[in-house]
Amino acid sequence: MIDRSSRLGWLLVAPAITTMAAIAIAPIVWTIWESLHFHDLRMPWLGRPFVGLANYQEALVDRRFRGAFIHTVVFAVVTVTLELTAGLVVALAVDGIRRARGVIRTMVLLPWAIPTVVVGLTWRFMFETQSGPTWFADPIAAWVPIVLADVWKTTPFVAILLLAGLQNIDASLYEAASVDGAGPWQMFTNVTLPMLRPALVVAFLFRALDAFRVFDLVYVMTGGGPGTATEPLAVYTFVSLLQNLRFGFGAALSVIAFGTTLLIALVTIRLFGRAAFTEPA
Amino acid sequence: MQPAWAVLGLVLASAACGAPSKRVLTFSGSALGREGEVISRQLERFRRLNPSITVELRSTPDASDQRRQLYVQWLNAHAPDPDVLQLDVVWTAEFAAAGWIAGLDSYSPPVDHFVDATLNANRWNGRLFALPWFVDVGMLYWRTDLVPHAPATLEELTMLAAAAQRDHGVPFGFVWQGARYEGLVTVFLEQLGAHGGRILDADGHVTVDSENAVAALTAMRDQIVASGITPEAVLSWQEEQARLAFQNGQAAFMRNWPYAYALLNDPSRSRVSGRFAVAPVPGAAGGAPTAALGGSQLAINAFSDQPDEAWRLIEFLLQPEQMVERAQIAGQFPPRTDLYEGEALAAALEISPAAALQVIVRAVPRPVSPVYSQLSDILQVSLHRALTRQQEPRAALVEAADAMRGLLARVKLVPAES
Repeated sequence: MIDRSSRLGWLLVAPAITTMAAIAIAPIVWTIWESLHFHDLRMPWLGRPFVGLANYQEALVDRRFRGAFIHTVVFAVVTVTLELTAGLVVALAVDGIRRARGVIRTMVLLPWAIPTVVVGLTWRFMFETQSGPTWFADPIAAWVPIVLADVWKTTPFVAILLLAGLQNIDASLYEAASVDGAGPWQMFTNVTLPMLRPALVVAFLFRALDAFRVFDLVYVMTGGGPGTATEPLAVYTFVSLLQNLRFGFGAALSVIAFGTTLLIALVTIRLFGRAAFTEPA
Repeated sequence: MQPAWAVLGLVLASAACGAPSKRVLTFSGSALGREGEVISRQLERFRRLNPSITVELRSTPDASDQRRQLYVQWLNAHAPDPDVLQLDVVWTAEFAAAGWIAGLDSYSPPVDHFVDATLNANRWNGRLFALPWFVDVGMLYWRTDLVPHAPATLEELTMLAAAAQRDHGVPFGFVWQGARYEGLVTVFLEQLGAHGGRILDADGHVTVDSENAVAALTAMRDQIVASGITPEAVLSWQEEQARLAFQNGQAAFMRNWPYAYALLNDPSRSRVSGRFAVAPVPGAAGGAPTAALGGSQLAINAFSDQPDEAWRLIEFLLQPEQMVERAQIAGQFPPRTDLYEGEALAAALEISPAAALQVIVRAVPRPVSPVYSQLSDILQVSLHRALTRQQEPRAALVEAADAMRGLLARVKLVPAES
């Protein structure tokens, strides 16, 4: 039997649960349901028959989809690695600065404040050449401006997250380490890194999930080209949904992307993240 | 509390009653810049001539993909507005097959006056669903100071372009639109026609993997990698990048739409004003000069509650007077053949009507199919892969043709075998 206080508790969280259900869960459930149908907006005469997993089967044998999935994974691995490394270096540098820290912090954060589309257009402009070899005509080289733009824009975000983590590390830990005779490298690996783990996990999660959904940067810079050499999952989903108007198939692609990001988040938290969310940093 | 609710109820009730009392005919299309200027003038005249009809302009995005998305959303919901739609030439079949636009044959439209190709692009299952409003055609722009005459064949174009690069030091011989987007398909369509090929044959079979098509795509790639008349940079160029290169005097030849003419001829902005001319994109051996057909159409929303008024507006906009005015202000070619013989158009256009007509009669529509946008998407990817040397032209076209056949089979649009 539910006692009065727990009933009151449920009553109090009911509005929050209802809101979540309406704005987050309902659309996801609807998208999953849609992905089990053949639904092509251009062909109302074919109706909207239930087709089970046919859209998923089509995706699995679709070379363009497999390419897009691989591009997304590679992009995420490369950019997140670069961003975490560069972000850590910047955070350590800013942490070491004693004067005008506020101003410097603001300056470091500037790229993050610029809209992604503007960043994309600017970097594309810088890499567009009129003569000689063209970056955007080569399937490998075309990635270089995209990755650079992404790293340039989001490293500051990582740096600020890590800087907050650094500033929370108790100075007495370093004193104790130096009393024990630890050098700078030992202090970094034995004090800084372990203490920074919660911040690192949060930064990794944010960046990994964002990188997996990359759309605007690629859309503006290469449109997924040359051919489909730089096309990530989100751009292919966009093409299927809004250009080809294949709602069933597009929904299936969205569900696959959603499932993968959810998996990344769950695995990350399970493996080394639980502490980041339960213990105070 | 209660008075507030009562007031709200009154407001809602009056809004609900007020709406249908005066019916408004809505027109949706480009409302920016010079095109916007023409249309608002013409709607004003229409209002004066038809005081019983209230007509309003509903502006929609100028970017073609965005406008199409908006239309599809509205029409899928069976929205009765806008009553009259401005359609891109490649949408008519899609919208007609979906039952979103009304058949026009019952209004006995003046079809005899229009260029054939522009009408064929607007027919689906033998019925007419839209009428051409203005035509766009791909043309060859050439520098009269660098090149002695317009080329008669594609081979000659390559020769003249290379000679201009060599003798006059112009950096690029021939520039076109090579980015992976719709424009690339129109450039390819012209090269394909020049080599005697087609994307779909007359019965709707996919023929984009024919020998002619392989030859056409190979020729395009060779312009970049073999003769070097075309810079690799075109692989990310759309219309404007090509126009700017030509306008700055960097190219001997350019493939582009008519809009570029007036801009290139403006001495305050252009370094080549008075030093260029237009000609048809030439054919190769075994083919014919071909121009990709673009442009806008007018159609009636199938869910409109005032189709007759909508037709009156379309009829008005297609009158010679309106078309000449549009040519004069926006530089857009009229689709009516009779206008090219009169004086009025010569006075209105910067380009000579005879030169324009020479290209327009060679206009070829892109495949007329309800799934055109997806056919185009498949083709864009394969063309771009071949041009960026990720695939050989033949392999790329075979892959595209297979994907296109698969798509047509899946949506049950396979031509009947006879």
